[in-house]
Amino acid sequence: MKVLLVDDSGTMRTIQRRCLNKLNVNEVVEADNGQTGLNEFQSQQFDVVLTDWNMPVMDGLTFVKNMRAENKTVPIIMITTEAERSRVVDAIQAGVSDYLVKPFTPDKLKEKLEKWVGCHV
Amino acid sequence: MATAQVDSSTTAAFVNPIISATLETFEMMLGVVPKRTGLQINESHTPTYDVSAMISMTGQIKGTIVFSVAGEAALNIFEQLIGDKSESLNEEVCDAIGEVSNMIAGSAKAKLAELELSLGLPTMVMGRDHRIHYPDSVARPIQLLFESDLGPFTLEFGFAKED
Repeated sequence: MKVLLVDDSGTMRTIQRRCLNKLNVNEVVEADNGQTGLNEFQSQQFDVVLTDWNMPVMDGLTFVKNMRAENKTVPIIMITTEAERSRVVDAIQAGVSDYLVKPFTPDKLKEKLEKWVGCHV
Repeated sequence: MATAQVDSSTTAAFVNPIISATLETFEMMLGVVPKRTGLQINESHTPTYDVSAMISMTGQIKGTIVFSVAGEAALNIFEQLIGDKSESLNEEVCDAIGEVSNMIAGSAKAKLAELELSLGLPTMVMGRDHRIHYPDSVARPIQLLFESDLGPFTLEFGFAKED
């Protein structure tokens, strides 16, 4: 199981990576914006992608659209502060598989990861 | 452009979504429930504590909201969020406080949009006696004081409307 984790905040990447590690997912590639995330996505195979929305260089929505142009099936979970209904609709139309609004409880993050990563503690 | 300070009931309508978002973020991300311990006027533009996130507000009024935490509270928040200890107020601790501020702003955004207000991205400032930029007519910002199991923090704010 290999996960691509894209967020410009080192803090958020650490929170998510630790949660993945607890689910015995240790192959985690990190990127700090959509463009570096896309470079990683094009050079390796991933089983799941986790991405933020608001990032410098390339935002998460553009990143998702670019990924979906190449790969229709990889699960993509967007983890973001963007909670407005219209934004969620935009993300779904761009091709995200699931959506988690910050702030979240550790259990909520674990629940989403278990669902898509397919691992359990 | 000249500005005038905003009255207290209007200020409350703008601040309440920020307070709710702060409590929600602490409860969900940090597992603690902060308590409000007071309200006071800050006689200067220097927050009480050493680590601050400034968030600008624009729309029907303009203003500045500051989430300011004591140094020790910042270290405790970092440890609670990340699971690692830090001995000093370094870049990683700053990023953690910035992310908490980002979640507070993000969580309040929808309610403030109903009041025709929008929030900017948080800007972090660290160090003793740092100054905050407020609109010209805000001489004395208002401070809300909080206590939590992770340490004390304040929400500080000043709003102005254009004449």
